Amino acid sequence: MTSAATECLLRMYDEHHELEDYQSGVPRWCTGCGDNAILAAVQRLCRDEDLRPEKTVFVSGIGCSSRFPHYMKTYGFHGIHGRALPVAEGIKMARPDLNVFVNTGDGDCCSIGAAHWIHAIRYNMNMTVMLHDNQIYGLTKMQASPTSPKGLKSNTTPRGAYLEALNPLTVTLGVQNVSFVAQAVDWIPEVMYDIISAAFHHKGLSFVRIVQRCPEWLPKLLEPWLHDPEKVLLLEHEDAIRISPSLAQVYKNRRRHDPSDLDRARETASGFDPIPVGILYRNPRVPCYEELRTAAGLRSTERIRKGLEAEFDKFTVWPQQAAEGAPAE
Amino acid sequence: MEAGLQAHVAFHLTGKTQSDGLEAITGLDLRPALFAGYRDLTRLRYDFPLVLAQGAGEGRAPVQSLSAVIDGALRKIVQAGEADRLTKHALRLEREIRVLVAAGVAGSLSSLLDKAAWRPMAQADVLFRDSLARLRAALELDGEIVDCDKAMPARLLAHLWRAMQRRKARAARADIDRLVLRLSDILKADLVRSEAGRSAASLKAAFGAAHEHAFDFDAMSRLLQKAAPADTLSDSRRRRIRRLVATLQAQKFFPPPDRTTADGEFYAFAFDSAAGALDAYRERLPSMMDLAKAMAIAELEAAGAYKEERHDAFFADFATNGLDPRDAALFPDYLVRVDGGVMSAGDGARLMDILTAGLPMKVLVEIDDILEPSAAGGGQLVLGARSRQLASSAMAQGDIYVLQSPSSNLFRFRERIEAGLEYRGPALFSVFSGATGEAGGLPPYLVAAAALEARAFPAFVYDPALGGDWASRFYLQDNPQAELDWPVQSLGFEDEAHQRGAERLAFTMVDFLVCDRRYAASFARVPRARWNGHMVPVEASLGEGAEGAPETVPCLLMVDGDNRLHKVIVDRRAMREARRCREMWRSLQELGGIHNSHAQRLLTQERKAWEEQLRRTASASPAPAVEAPPPPASVAAAAAATELPEAASERKSEEAYIETPRCTSCNECIAINDKMFGYNRDKQAFIADVAAGTYRQLVEAAEGCQVSIIHPGKPRNPDEPGLEELIKRAEPFL
Repeated sequence: MTSAATECLLRMYDEHHELEDYQSGVPRWCTGCGDNAILAAVQRLCRDEDLRPEKTVFVSGIGCSSRFPHYMKTYGFHGIHGRALPVAEGIKMARPDLNVFVNTGDGDCCSIGAAHWIHAIRYNMNMTVMLHDNQIYGLTKMQASPTSPKGLKSNTTPRGAYLEALNPLTVTLGVQNVSFVAQAVDWIPEVMYDIISAAFHHKGLSFVRIVQRCPEWLPKLLEPWLHDPEKVLLLEHEDAIRISPSLAQVYKNRRRHDPSDLDRARETASGFDPIPVGILYRNPRVPCYEELRTAAGLRSTERIRKGLEAEFDKFTVWPQQAAEGAPAE
Repeated sequence: MEAGLQAHVAFHLTGKTQSDGLEAITGLDLRPALFAGYRDLTRLRYDFPLVLAQGAGEGRAPVQSLSAVIDGALRKIVQAGEADRLTKHALRLEREIRVLVAAGVAGSLSSLLDKAAWRPMAQADVLFRDSLARLRAALELDGEIVDCDKAMPARLLAHLWRAMQRRKARAARADIDRLVLRLSDILKADLVRSEAGRSAASLKAAFGAAHEHAFDFDAMSRLLQKAAPADTLSDSRRRRIRRLVATLQAQKFFPPPDRTTADGEFYAFAFDSAAGALDAYRERLPSMMDLAKAMAIAELEAAGAYKEERHDAFFADFATNGLDPRDAALFPDYLVRVDGGVMSAGDGARLMDILTAGLPMKVLVEIDDILEPSAAGGGQLVLGARSRQLASSAMAQGDIYVLQSPSSNLFRFRERIEAGLEYRGPALFSVFSGATGEAGGLPPYLVAAAALEARAFPAFVYDPALGGDWASRFYLQDNPQAELDWPVQSLGFEDEAHQRGAERLAFTMVDFLVCDRRYAASFARVPRARWNGHMVPVEASLGEGAEGAPETVPCLLMVDGDNRLHKVIVDRRAMREARRCREMWRSLQELGGIHNSHAQRLLTQERKAWEEQLRRTASASPAPAVEAPPPPASVAAAAAATELPEAASERKSEEAYIETPRCTSCNECIAINDKMFGYNRDKQAFIADVAAGTYRQLVEAAEGCQVSIIHPGKPRNPDEPGLEELIKRAEPFL
């Protein structure tokens, strides 16, 4: 509860931020890399929402995409491989007032971090997760990732990948408590921005898979989709993404998709040709773990100390009791 | 005029019995015939007594009727086969509780259940004991039981008010504790960074005694002193935060959840007089402002948003024009209880001061007697004049919540009472308790209910929060048959020939008056032998003119202790009071939109105009032959004329351009020439200066662009080397 006067004053002196206020350093990504498009869209979102840099945190694991926090002039946590989500969950639990974003790659999220990914969806904590999916391990110079298409020749699969690619969307849509799933492609920045913005405004874990080009290792992989608008299926709905008239002229392949329809979302998500782009599923009524588990009362120093003491006491050996041979309680 | 009628008319006009044929009603234990069914209230299941639930405000109704509580428990335990027995026992216990309460026994539901259980049956009855145990286990709540008596309105209101205050205090307290903790954390962090905080002694103290010998705190301090932090709190901010913490901790408005205001450490907000409440309010106003200000500043400080150059001046003049209503709503409301019977003119004026000034006070004006004679003489009754005046002045003010109700109707108004307590502003609750002490054997509940039925003390609510006009704010519908002058009920009886009869009887102000001992002289019983056709029901008689010698005499149907019917004639004074009462009721009806004269007048006008129009249409010449539709205008021609303009002319392919909205910010073009290509404020590329580079660079950028949105156009410099080849390469991108 904020007093009326404070609210009014805060609004009166609202600080405005420019894109530059969120830019930090020159990205070390290759020129032409789709990560740049995601970075630009996210910086735009921060500016448009006037997110206070000190109230915003980007968390990542390991990979090209996970360099993301370095390029945001906010708080950030460049974590360890596959562990972006647990770190972000810890941050949200301790500081529910922060805007938490997670940037993770297809290797980071869908391979070594897969267990955390599944449970993060189930926990449904309020954060925006962007899966930068370029379908390859780029930072370590081209090894197949779980989302690499079958037959892709890479340093680890010189005869071509043997397995069907994993579809991060259908996996996410299959987990209990899923509350927001969308797919964007880096070559339609307007829609990507709208999707990331909707994901940010959704209360709960919003999972956005961003299909992203890797010009260095897979320059040809997505070309057919890039150059043929018919291979993109735009999902539109009055409760989801509305397509601008200029975009509608280029992308004629569109479908009205109600984001509350989970079955239809699963069906649509399983396609890649044409690739569905838009909000597949949204359910704002799924409870957030941080709210279910909020402890009543304030975390005062005394309370924290008491809790710690109680925990440590479980393992304390009491010299006197030990001497008397009595079992410690 | 025949003799019988003569005597009756004489009584009606003078109030004196001049013949033997009439009998005074004092001592006959008569009551209005419609009360015949309500002789023993303990045998009836109705709204009262009430259970004032303990721990109210936690998702449970704070007040419930005893019957509803018992029914709720029964629903939980009743199973097939045992339903009859459990229900019978539960209802028996409920009646015993009613009997106890009616006899003046006070206590909680559980204690009264214990007492009641001793009465009906031997405890040895196994089945009864089983029913009792199961009923007790199924009771969802406990709390004080109150019957509809003189003290009930104040207890009910205070109970609901306390629940509301607790909710408010809990919310405000949580807010204050959070702010104190946050500010203390800021101070603590500042201390740790200060020189004093990094001194050896302070480090040692922070460490604890267990292993202190293992550390060299001097060395640690020296090391830490070197790493002096760049930013510390400014002195003024530190002083401000300390002041805020002190103010927040010293506040006396909101006790912690486990404390009450009884020990004097915190302010109490319930008062028995307007003057007391007003004095307390004035005295506490400065600390209230201080606290509101401290909370506002603390909120800014906690968010790190307090800027001295902006906010100092603002807070120096904080709330000089009063607090924002939303901020004021955080603070406790005062509860003022006033006895309307003994209220002086000064008290009344002070109450009006409170109400018109919009102070956060909830005022209960209780009145026990609405039938006392007017002090002005002339034999007229006051009919609760003081509380009526208060209520109508308050309503005229427009932004005051007003609720008037006899006590019997308060339970039905419980949600409206809560709305009044929640209302951001003053509220006036005007209640008639029914405990006149002059109503013979009638319990206060019946007297209060009779006042409602007889329109002597109508129930209404004026809630400014519900809308901007009277239609949405004023609520009159809880009065029985509100659209009529007097509510009409059916009375069934057995006649001399033991045949069933029924009559529709209106319950009027006269029925209410006859319950009061002080007005017994206005009534005279007519023995059955002298009943005649000139005796007409009061309601019919009220419709006639009051002047001149009447041909009929108004009479009431009443019953005695054995429920035998009697007829009682009424004198002119009682009739006059009934007419006055009806006038007041009618004016209330108008406010409530019932038989509203403005609306009716408008309706008549409109109807007249409509009929007039109808007549004109009918008298006009017969309908003309259907005209042919206008010839279709040359639609085709028009359409042709407004041909869509040519599609937006395509950009000239001679000129270089970028489809900026489609740019993916991938840096390809920027890497080629960052003067020629630039980013806009959304970090999407455009051609910043086409002259800043060569045509070759444009073509290379177009080829390199991942999304093919760069269009190089035609070369500007015809002397550029290798142009022929470049133009060929540029072709796919034009």
